[in-house]
Amino acid sequence: MPKPIVQIRELSKIYTRADNVVKALDNISLDLIEGEFVALMGPSGSGKSTLLHIIAGIDRPTRGRCIVQGTDVGELDQTQLADWRKDHVGFVFQSFNLIPVLTAFENVELPLLLTSLSSRERRAHAEAALKLVGLGDRTHHLPKEMSGGQEQRVAIARALVTDPTLIVADEPTGNLDAHSAADVLTLLQTLNREWNKTIIIVTHDPKAASYAQRTVHLEKGELLNGDGQHPSPHISNLKSQTS
Amino acid sequence: MTIPTFILRNALRNKRRLILTVLSVSVSLALFTLLQAALHLLTREKPMNEESALRLVTRHKVSLANVLPEKYIHRIERTPGVRAVSRFTFLGGIYKDESQTRFAQFVVDADRIFEIFTEIKVDAQQQQLFQKEKTACIVGTKLLERNGWKLGDKITFKQGLWPVNVEVLIRGAYTRASPDEPVDENMVFVRHDYFDDLLGKLGLVGTFWIRAESQEAIPQVIQQIDSAFANTSAETKTETERAFQLGFVSMMGDVKTFFGSICAVIVFTMLLVTASTMAMAIRERSREVAILKALGFNGTQVFGLILAESLALSLCGGVFGSLGIKVLLESLDLYKLSDGNIQMFPVPWQAVSLGLLVAFALGVLSSIVPAWTSIKTTVVEGLKTLD
Repeated sequence: MPKPIVQIRELSKIYTRADNVVKALDNISLDLIEGEFVALMGPSGSGKSTLLHIIAGIDRPTRGRCIVQGTDVGELDQTQLADWRKDHVGFVFQSFNLIPVLTAFENVELPLLLTSLSSRERRAHAEAALKLVGLGDRTHHLPKEMSGGQEQRVAIARALVTDPTLIVADEPTGNLDAHSAADVLTLLQTLNREWNKTIIIVTHDPKAASYAQRTVHLEKGELLNGDGQHPSPHISNLKSQTS
Repeated sequence: MTIPTFILRNALRNKRRLILTVLSVSVSLALFTLLQAALHLLTREKPMNEESALRLVTRHKVSLANVLPEKYIHRIERTPGVRAVSRFTFLGGIYKDESQTRFAQFVVDADRIFEIFTEIKVDAQQQQLFQKEKTACIVGTKLLERNGWKLGDKITFKQGLWPVNVEVLIRGAYTRASPDEPVDENMVFVRHDYFDDLLGKLGLVGTFWIRAESQEAIPQVIQQIDSAFANTSAETKTETERAFQLGFVSMMGDVKTFFGSICAVIVFTMLLVTASTMAMAIRERSREVAILKALGFNGTQVFGLILAESLALSLCGGVFGSLGIKVLLESLDLYKLSDGNIQMFPVPWQAVSLGLLVAFALGVLSSIVPAWTSIKTTVVEGLKTLD
């Protein structure tokens, strides 16, 4: 049986705003397998982005554990988390989030500045990543000189340039037209299929989710199974795995 | 791309704001450096040079307004450790009218004055003429040029401080012995014997200027001169040239506190400007800071980026302001530009260094709050920030 790369156990996230207590995630358990392309789906406020943020180490659970490749990310302090993200997570955001004063090449090179790679090695890695996303000829373009689809492809190149354990994408097609969205999703699918990248995307678009191998549904902070039932068959196996 | 390139790109993203901030820091730091230079000039304890360190001034113990008998010169001359002494009286005459008399005239001993002020250079022939002719005078080269005087011209100083009109012939022009010497080339030296004749041989002197044999001899010379005239009707006070100059400065009040207060206001205003700029720059980039953190930049690294940007901005202002004002003042002919009012305005390296130090401190202080806020904001909160 393939080894899970992400193990989520009885995970809850509770926000307290003044007198209001909001359960964003409620006792969730889930496994993600290495090389899997998973879509987290659900309506607004279902907790899918919160779950993605916790898996990616940019948010912390209130209760429960999130173990990624053997590391319980909830146990790490801020500096350790930053270091962990650098090595294990590549981010793709809905609004691309490229640094506007840097060219496509420099945006892709940015995460590599935190590594011990030489300038020449950084250049080689960044160029390879840009070629991989089909933007080898746009290296010196600033984000404002590119289309939305191209910007998102640069963001994908930035996400994969450090060869992370996970690529997480929060609504990666939310700001794109249908054609560009299809291009981006196909690219993610290719990265998964041909490069065995573990990819988790958050989306509320069933069409986008159809590119994934597996869809995990959330609603009101709880996991639903594939056809809206609760609990999902996948989760039911977890207890036997963890016990 | 390197980290410094990244910092530079960030700093240059809003060019108008960058230019305005650097300009405001530059102008403020230029003013700060000028004030520090003026304060240094006015309150510096050390003499200007070695020659100056050997000079002493003997004046009336009560005040500068009181005069001394000229016969004191013989007793002073005989004091062990004295190499040369000259009578030295402020003439305070009026040339044409008061508005044109923006220079000092001094009554001196023609045969000794250049032994005391060795940083002054006069042509040997002109010096001889000054020593031969009672009505001769020596003027500073810049003063000569400014007034369009020529050697041989007759000039008259109408009675000002003293009740005599002094008519003299320009027989020489002095200049500084070396370009680095801080010599005022805006003075006139008139002979004491001629002045005394005009006064009807009253035998009065404002001060005596002395050149000591060595620095070691100075305390003894001071003690011996003052005790020689103790319990006379005109007791003396002998002090170093620098102490004598500082006495003038102290007449203006507490210069240090006054200049210090202005400097403090300047620094505080600059801090507000740079802190506001950095706060604006970082607030606009909250989302980008969050992205950097998501990519793996930790709190210290983010702080480093913000600090470096802030330092680059303030040090830029420091270099343009503090160093710029030194270069500017040294390259301009201040004498001409100020119509003779400002002879020179040396900006010491201490003032420039202090300016740069203030710029550095500004950079650090103005980055602390935005950097701290950025570090404390979580990635998720930062990503929610609108562009």
